Amino acid sequence: MTAPDYSIANRRRSIELGLVIAAGVITAGAYTLATLGKNSVIPPRILPFLGVLLAVLLFAHIAVRRLAHGADSTLLPIAVLLNGLGYVMIARLSERLAGLQTTWTFIAIATFVVVLLFVERVNDLARYQWHFFGAAAVLLLLPMVPGLGFSSGGARIWVNIGPINFQPGEFAKLALALFFAGYLSERGSLIARGTRQWGRFTIPEPRDLLPLIGAWAFSVVVMVGQRDLGSSLLFFTLFVVMVWVATERAGYLALGFALFAGACFAAYHLFDHVQTRVAIWLDPWSRYDGKGYQLAQAMFALGSGGTSGTGLGLGDPTRIPEAKNDFIFAAIGEELGLFGATAILLAFVVVIGAGLRTALRTQRPFEKLLATGLTTILGVQAFIIIGGVIRVVPLTGITLPFVSYGGSSLVANYAILALLIRTSDASARRLGEIPDRPTIRERWEARRARRHEQAAS
Amino acid sequence: MNQRIRRLAVALLALYAILFVQLNVIQVGRKSNLDADARNTRLTVRTFNDPRGEITTIDGKVIAESIRSEPGSEHPWKRVYADGELYAHVTGYYTFAYGATQIERVANDVLAGRTAEQQVKGLASLFDGGDTTGTVVTTIDSKIQAAARRALGEREGSVVVVDVRTGAVKALWSFPSFDPNLLTTDDDDLAGSIIRYLNDVPGDPLLANSYQQRYMPGSTFKVITTAAALDAGTIGLESVFAEESEFLPPQTTDPITNYKDKVCGGDLIEVFRRSCNTPFARTALELGPQKLVAATQRFGIGESLPFDLPRSAASTFGTADYFEDNLPLLAIGGFGQGNTQMVPLHMALVAASVANGGAMMKPYVIDSTRDHDGRLLDRTRPSVWKQTMTPESSRILAQLMTEVVRDGTASCCFQLANGVQAAAKTGTAQLNGPGEPERSHAWIIGFAPVDTPRYAIAVMLKGTNAEISEGTGGRLAGPVAKAVMDVALTR
Repeated sequence: MTAPDYSIANRRRSIELGLVIAAGVITAGAYTLATLGKNSVIPPRILPFLGVLLAVLLFAHIAVRRLAHGADSTLLPIAVLLNGLGYVMIARLSERLAGLQTTWTFIAIATFVVVLLFVERVNDLARYQWHFFGAAAVLLLLPMVPGLGFSSGGARIWVNIGPINFQPGEFAKLALALFFAGYLSERGSLIARGTRQWGRFTIPEPRDLLPLIGAWAFSVVVMVGQRDLGSSLLFFTLFVVMVWVATERAGYLALGFALFAGACFAAYHLFDHVQTRVAIWLDPWSRYDGKGYQLAQAMFALGSGGTSGTGLGLGDPTRIPEAKNDFIFAAIGEELGLFGATAILLAFVVVIGAGLRTALRTQRPFEKLLATGLTTILGVQAFIIIGGVIRVVPLTGITLPFVSYGGSSLVANYAILALLIRTSDASARRLGEIPDRPTIRERWEARRARRHEQAAS
Repeated sequence: MNQRIRRLAVALLALYAILFVQLNVIQVGRKSNLDADARNTRLTVRTFNDPRGEITTIDGKVIAESIRSEPGSEHPWKRVYADGELYAHVTGYYTFAYGATQIERVANDVLAGRTAEQQVKGLASLFDGGDTTGTVVTTIDSKIQAAARRALGEREGSVVVVDVRTGAVKALWSFPSFDPNLLTTDDDDLAGSIIRYLNDVPGDPLLANSYQQRYMPGSTFKVITTAAALDAGTIGLESVFAEESEFLPPQTTDPITNYKDKVCGGDLIEVFRRSCNTPFARTALELGPQKLVAATQRFGIGESLPFDLPRSAASTFGTADYFEDNLPLLAIGGFGQGNTQMVPLHMALVAASVANGGAMMKPYVIDSTRDHDGRLLDRTRPSVWKQTMTPESSRILAQLMTEVVRDGTASCCFQLANGVQAAAKTGTAQLNGPGEPERSHAWIIGFAPVDTPRYAIAVMLKGTNAEISEGTGGRLAGPVAKAVMDVALTR
C-alpha cells in the first residue's frame, strides 16, 4: 500500500492563500482609489489598513487550513472579495458605517472560525433538525413580539435586545436550511414515493408533509405579518428547491410554483404595498417623485456608470436612497461600471458553482441537501436583490450577501460559508484527500470513554 | 439527487445570465437615454464640479474661463465671462440649476474633457493629475465684435459679419444682450429669478437677434428676387422697367407704390440702386409663385440655419400654393414686404453668397477645439450649404450692389476708409399699415472689397423707436456697417 497522497488538499490551501491575499490587495487598492477619488489624497492609514486586513484574512485562512484542510479553495476568497468590495463601497458612502462594518466583519470572521471549530462533523447536525425547526420558528416570529420587534423602512424585521439590534430573519434562513436538509434526508424518499392513493395520484402521508407545509405557512406569515417580501420569496424558493432535489419529483416543483403563484396573486390583491412594488417595478418613472425615486436613481446611477464606471469615489451614489444596503449593487454599478457589476455577478456564479460542486461531491443525503440549500440561499438572495435593483423582478428589500452593510447579514452569511466549507472538507476526508483523523471532540470523547472503561474495570 | 442539483446549477446560471443581459441593457443600451433624462442631475453635478476649459476668440482673447471659487463656495469652480454681455450670445451661460446654452452647451464635452479623444489622452496622464479639459476657439474676432457693439450703440438690432469664403462668423452682436456672470452665482434661486426676468423683459435679451429671431427684410430681399429672375432669364442688365409711381397687381384694387410714392423706373442698375418697388413686384409676378419660391429655397429660406449654435431660427417666405391664391402678397414679397421674414445672419450669408460666386457657405462660430496642451482636437471645415444662383448671376448682382454704394441708397453712408469699394443693398421694412405712424426696420447688407471680397455684413436696426422708424436703411444702418467694416478690413 502506497502512502496516501494529500497533495490535492495542500494545493487547494495554497491556491486559497494566494486568492485570499489577492482579494485583500484588491480591497486595499480599491480603498485607496476610492479615497483618492473622493478626497484626492492617499488614505493616511493605508498601510495599517492593509496590515490589519491581511492579518484578519490570514487568520481565516489559517483556520481553514487547520480545521478544514481539504475544503474547496474558492469559497473563502470569493466571500472575502465580496466583503472587501462591499466594505470599500460602504466606507465611500459613510465613514461612520465603515467603522461599524469593520467591527461586524471581525465578528463575522470570528463566527466563521467558531462554526468551523464547533461543527466538526457536519452530518451530526442532522440530529438537531427539530431544534433548528424551533429556532427558525422563534426567529421568524421574534420581530412580531410586541416590545422586541420594530419596523424600519416599512418592514417589521428587526429585533431589539438590550443594546443590540438584529434581523433574526438572516439567521432563520440558515436554521430553515438545516431543518429542511435534516427532515428531507430522512423522509425525502418517503414523500417522493407516496403511500396513499388519491384519485390518479399517489400522495405521501399527510403526516410527512405537515412540517413542510408548516414551513411554507411560515414564509406566508412572514410576508403578511412583517411585510418582508424579499425574505419570504427566499424562504419559498429554498423550500421548493430543497423538496424538489430531495424527492426528485418535478410535481413538487410544479406544486411549489403553483402555491407560489397563488400566494403572489393573493398578496397582490390583498396588499397595497405589493401592488405598489409591482407598479414601480414596471414603471418607476411615473412615480419618480414618490416610491419610484429610489429605483429611478438606481437606473441613473447604473447608466452614468456605463461600461467602465465613473471610477471609485468619483460617482454620485449617495443620491440613491439605501445605497449602502439593498442598493449597494447600483452604487457598485455606477462607480465600477458594467465591468465591476459583472465581476460581482461572476463572483456569485463562482459561489454557486463551488457550493453545488460541494453538494455533488458528498455522498451523504443530508450534506447534499444542506450544501444545496445553503448555496440556494446565497445564489437566490443575491439574485432577488440584484434583480430588484436592475428591474428584472419587483424590488423586495433584502441584503446582498457579503456586500451590503449589516451585521446580521454578514454574520449569518459567514456562518453559511463555514458550513459549506465544512461540508466540502467532509467529502475530501471521505475521499481520502486528507487524513481522516478523529476530531478534537472525538478524541476527547474517546479519552473519556477509555477512562470510563478503566474506571469500570 | 445529483441530476437535480446539476439542473439547479443550470437554472441559477440562467438567472444570472438574465441579470447580465439586463445590466447590459441598462448600462450600455439605455445609457444615453438615462443620462439625457432631465431629472438626472448626476452628469450636471459631476461636470459642474470638474474644471472646465476656456472659450477664446480667434485672436486669442479669453471670453469664458473657470477660476477657483472663494473658499466656502458650494462648487469648487466659478465660470467667469470677462467681457460680460459682449459675447453672451456666443458663449451662452453655464449654470448649475439652469443648464447651459450656446457654446457652453454644444461644446460641453470638449470643455469638460469628455470626448473620447480627451479621455484617452487623460488615461495616459492619469498618474500625474493631467488636466483633460479642452479649449474652444471661436471664429469671432474681438476687435470686430467690439466695433459692432460700439457702432450699434444702445439701439435694438444686430450686426453680423461673416467671412464670405468660409462662412466663419467674425462678429455676432445683438442688442440687447445680458451679462452671463449674473447667472453663475452660487444662489440658484437668484439665478432663476434673473433668468425669469431676462425672459420677460422687452427685447428678449436671452435670444440673439442675430440668429434666433427673424425680421421683415424690406428691400434687402430684392437681392434674392433679382438672383431668381437673373437665373430664370426673365431679366438682365438690358431690361428696362416703366417709370411709374404705382402698380396694380392682379386679385386686388390696392396698388403697390414706391418709397414715398415717388415715380421710379429705368434699367436694372437704375431701379436696383434707387430701390424702386414696382419693378421687383412685376419681376416677382413674372417669375410666378413656383419659380420664386423655388429660388428662395435655393437660398435656404424655410430651413433652420445650419449654424453650430443651438436653436437658430429659420427665415420664411411662403409656399407656392399660398401665393397662387394671393398674388399681391407674392408681388410685395418680391421686395421683402408682407410675410417675408429673414434672420439677420441669413441676410449676411445672402450678401456673402453674392460675393462668393453664388455659393452660400455653412455659417459656423466654432473654429477649432484644442486639448489642454493646445493640441488640435477638431477644426471646422468650411462647406457649401447652398448654391444660391449661377456664378454669372452673382457677377451681375455684385455689379448692381456696387452701384448702390457708388450712387444709390447706400452712397451716403457706406464709403469705406482707404478708398475700399464696397457693395451693398439697403432695406427699410415698413411695419405700419396705411395711416398708422411710420415704423420700420432699417437694414443694410453688403460685402467688401468688391474686387477680392473678404467679409459680408448684415446690420439690422429694429423699428422700435422713432429715430429708427423715420430713417431709411441706408442712412441708419449704413454708418454702422461702415464703422464695423472699416475695422474688419484692417484685420
